Amino acid sequence: MKTPREILLKRHQAAAPKLDAIRHDVLNAEFKVGQASRLSLISLFFQMETGWKSVLRLLWQELIWPCRRTWTALAAVWMALFIFNVSQRDKVELAARKLPPPSPEAILAWRQQEKLLAELIGPSAPGDVERRKIFFPKPRTEIAEAMAV
Amino acid sequence: MLVVAEREQLPVPQAKAGEPEAWDTLFRRYQLPLYVYVFELAHDEQTSLDLVQETFIAAVRHIGSLRDDDKFGSWLFGIAHQKCIQRWRKQRREEVLLDEIPESADEFEGSPDDLLIRQEQEAEFMELLNQLPLPQRSVLLLHFVEDFSLEEIAGITGIPIGTVKSRLHYAKKSLRKLLEEKK
Repeated sequence: MKTPREILLKRHQAAAPKLDAIRHDVLNAEFKVGQASRLSLISLFFQMETGWKSVLRLLWQELIWPCRRTWTALAAVWMALFIFNVSQRDKVELAARKLPPPSPEAILAWRQQEKLLAELIGPSAPGDVERRKIFFPKPRTEIAEAMAV
Repeated sequence: MLVVAEREQLPVPQAKAGEPEAWDTLFRRYQLPLYVYVFELAHDEQTSLDLVQETFIAAVRHIGSLRDDDKFGSWLFGIAHQKCIQRWRKQRREEVLLDEIPESADEFEGSPDDLLIRQEQEAEFMELLNQLPLPQRSVLLLHFVEDFSLEEIAGITGIPIGTVKSRLHYAKKSLRKLLEEKK
């Protein structure tokens, strides 16, 4: 009499060599990549023997592939933003092109208003500015003498 | 005679620390039961080998997500189960997984060894096992191959414990009935 476990395992015992090969392959591949990933990217850049392909493959395996869904979602969002941005830019340019140039009467009225405004405000007082520029602080003793005089 | 290490002796902490020897021990321990489980669901040698390989790779890469070291076995089988489902979904066979079974069984026989099969019945047993619906076969295999608890099977398959209990009950009942009929 045998248990179901014994029957099942015995039945598939022939697959053991193939499973051993798979185990070796996985461990070799994963721990080679694991060791490489422990090295900093900067040192990888300086190791000429590693080359660009290895760096790109490492980036792909460690950074992109494990979170491919997240990257895909981000790419979709970026694309949507880019398309939205481009469509908005086209609209602004189109609106700017559609605006007619100001008429000569409008330009004349605007210049008159500018002149009127200048007259109302009056000329600026540059003297104050110059006085501020030539002021030098004096020692306190000199200030006290001047006050006494 | 198949030698199986005790769960407590498995070098899970060392594997978490990234020791290849520890991983070798763990994979050596689980490779055949995993293959049996996957093969008896998929019924294709190459697919089963691919799934075992994918499971090993995923285990090495995501060992950080294992909270309880004692649950390494059920965690590994959980990965394998998910890989099987992904493969079926690719093949548009999810309707097989959605097969519902009534949940009413409370009487659940605990040990997988209570069903003993005579040598002349071995081939019949395999044939009958394959006649069971996939959801029943899945829980029965987990029960037979690794003697996982109901909680562990529920964790692996992602179904409630009540459903596991009823599937196991009906699977064993139908298997026993079929074996008796064949006597």
